[in-house]
Amino acid sequence: MNEKRHMGLKSLNRASNTVIYILLIIISIVWLLPFVFIVLQSFRVENTYQVGYVIPQQWGLDNYIRLWTSDFKRWYLNTFIIALASAVLITIIQLCMSYTLSRFRFKLRGPLMRFMLILGMFPGMLTMIILYRVLADLGLTQTNAVPGLILVGVASSGMGYYVSKGFFDTIPKSLDEAARVDGATRFQVLYKIILPLAKPIVIYTILTAFMGPWGDYVFARYVAMGTSAGYNVAVGMYSWLTNDQINNWYTTFCAGGVIVALPVTILFLCLQKYYVEGVTGGAVKG
Amino acid sequence: MKKATALLLAVLMLLALVACGGGSGSQQPATSPAGDSTPAAPAEGGDSASTGNELAGTYDVTIWAPEAAVDLTNQQVADFNSSNGMGITINATVEPVSEADAASNMDTDVSAGADLFFFAQDQLSRMIKDGAVTKLGQGAADFVKNNNNAAGVTAATSGSDLYAYPLTADNGYFMYYDKSVVPDSDVDSLEKIIEDCIAANKNFSYELENAWYNAGVFFGTGCHSEWSTDDNVNFTLDDDFNSDNGLIAAKGIYKLVSTPIYVNSSNADFASGSAVVVTGTWNYATIKEQLGDNFGVTDLPSFEVDGQSYHLGSYSGCKLLGVKPQEDAVKGAAINQLAQYLTNGECQLARFTEFGWGPSNNDALADPAVQADPTLGALNEQGAYAVPQPNIPGNWWDIAKTITTDIKESDGSDEALKAALQKYEDSVGAADGITLAG
Repeated sequence: MNEKRHMGLKSLNRASNTVIYILLIIISIVWLLPFVFIVLQSFRVENTYQVGYVIPQQWGLDNYIRLWTSDFKRWYLNTFIIALASAVLITIIQLCMSYTLSRFRFKLRGPLMRFMLILGMFPGMLTMIILYRVLADLGLTQTNAVPGLILVGVASSGMGYYVSKGFFDTIPKSLDEAARVDGATRFQVLYKIILPLAKPIVIYTILTAFMGPWGDYVFARYVAMGTSAGYNVAVGMYSWLTNDQINNWYTTFCAGGVIVALPVTILFLCLQKYYVEGVTGGAVKG
Repeated sequence: MKKATALLLAVLMLLALVACGGGSGSQQPATSPAGDSTPAAPAEGGDSASTGNELAGTYDVTIWAPEAAVDLTNQQVADFNSSNGMGITINATVEPVSEADAASNMDTDVSAGADLFFFAQDQLSRMIKDGAVTKLGQGAADFVKNNNNAAGVTAATSGSDLYAYPLTADNGYFMYYDKSVVPDSDVDSLEKIIEDCIAANKNFSYELENAWYNAGVFFGTGCHSEWSTDDNVNFTLDDDFNSDNGLIAAKGIYKLVSTPIYVNSSNADFASGSAVVVTGTWNYATIKEQLGDNFGVTDLPSFEVDGQSYHLGSYSGCKLLGVKPQEDAVKGAAINQLAQYLTNGECQLARFTEFGWGPSNNDALADPAVQADPTLGALNEQGAYAVPQPNIPGNWWDIAKTITTDIKESDGSDEALKAALQKYEDSVGAADGITLAG
């Protein structure tokens, strides 16, 4: 009898698992389909407009070749430069900021942190007009949009200190003190003690800083103002989707989407292990 | 290590300084550029045809043209340089900016905008508000009026003045159909077309949830929608969409949108399941390729309500070439000369040959190739039922498109349709910058 009941439980378990798996499979299909669709469309060469089927009738690399003969090259390079510069500069500033706020005690530290927290609550959109004006007067718009976008991205990066400060707070202060006693400078403490211990959070910071510019559309479009040489990939590719362009560029657009996804995906796969640790790492205060 | 830190901090401070200093210190140059210099300079616009040599010189000019037209525009500017006979040399930078995007870029910053730009006529009021277009002088206005058809002149007019040069008069829509699904004998009747599509399980693409398309149905039943603009770009609307005729139009819209085959789209949908698409000349090449031998094109059909037949109407519109106000009046006059060249019959015909853009210029319209073009033929047939699109404020489009949405969600009863029209009238009455006449 016991045996029988045990079996019943087991089959019940199996049944519920089956239901859960079926549900998950359906959800993942829904989620993955657009990506599969874009990849397949990017290899479709029989025509360049939207069609009602998914599997290409003729396969080829024409769309990718076309990307290299269009302005896309320039847009991609622009975005890559912005992403790389942002990743380096934002990471340095943000980590220094977090270290300072975590380890130093100075006047107005509390008010400063609260002030930045409140500033961060205003939607970034609100500052767009004045930022545009400032950049235009500095000559950092249109063909010079790239340094302009880097400047804007980096200038406010100190405010994103919360996560890494939270993580730094979990590293025992006695480690710092021991190092200080041994003669280390403040910078050496950050560089030699804190950073190696905070590797996940460093990588998380680099990743988010690198990924941001790839999706930037609204502000990037403002700054480039109709100058192709200053477009990033999002703005440039969107210009292929107007009424009179889409029939010509649709499949090329899909190919562009795949190429844009590549560096981010590769970086993500390589650093994924740290990413998860980084996101949750700062959340628990030790 | 300390040195490195110090250096880093110094760089950061410098960056901060540059960012702050730029903001406050450079207000002055921002207020002076061409965009803000009001009437004095722009009044010169293109009035100096006789004063040839005064315009001699080299001018740097930025031009926004749609991606497809960039090469041709460069070539036409070169032709202008060699043929103008006034010693004008234009050093042009042509940037690919869609004519649909020109106004949103100009909204951002007129001073950084192009000197010469292609734009769709519905953006004219925004351009005037932004101070992005020059009011044409008497000579230039006469040039436009003498050389272009009525639609082109209407499109470039706001209040009592002209503000731009017509480039095309093909911004209208008509019907493309798949001959294997809809026989030629059925193309005049909306009901028969719907039946054919249902029988073949094919879609009917007609972007009725867009005021540019649904207003046409109202024109078809005899409704009118007349706009007037004062010189401060305030709008007055005189329309009767909420009337007995309007109700007939609403019934016509319900006929199509209540069927399962209705698709709210104006794209080249033949490859994705449609047998009929209501769209314009810009999709011609693609649709021709999609349909091959089954390609059919004609004017819009008629629909029947209570035994009476009503031919679907439409808007017809234009693309325009705008000239930005210039600080340097001589440069302004030179650019106006270029604008007149780019919109003359020869250049319009070249655009027709390369991209199928229908001309607004009278000479180009008389050209046999233009006369024989199938899509322009359909556009012409539809022209009898088309209303030239006047200067309309942006918010009206957003209000009027909800008529279709409301009709689609209704049960099709007279009360429900009337309610949708009443809601439209109330919303327009409450809208910013629009005054209802009467």
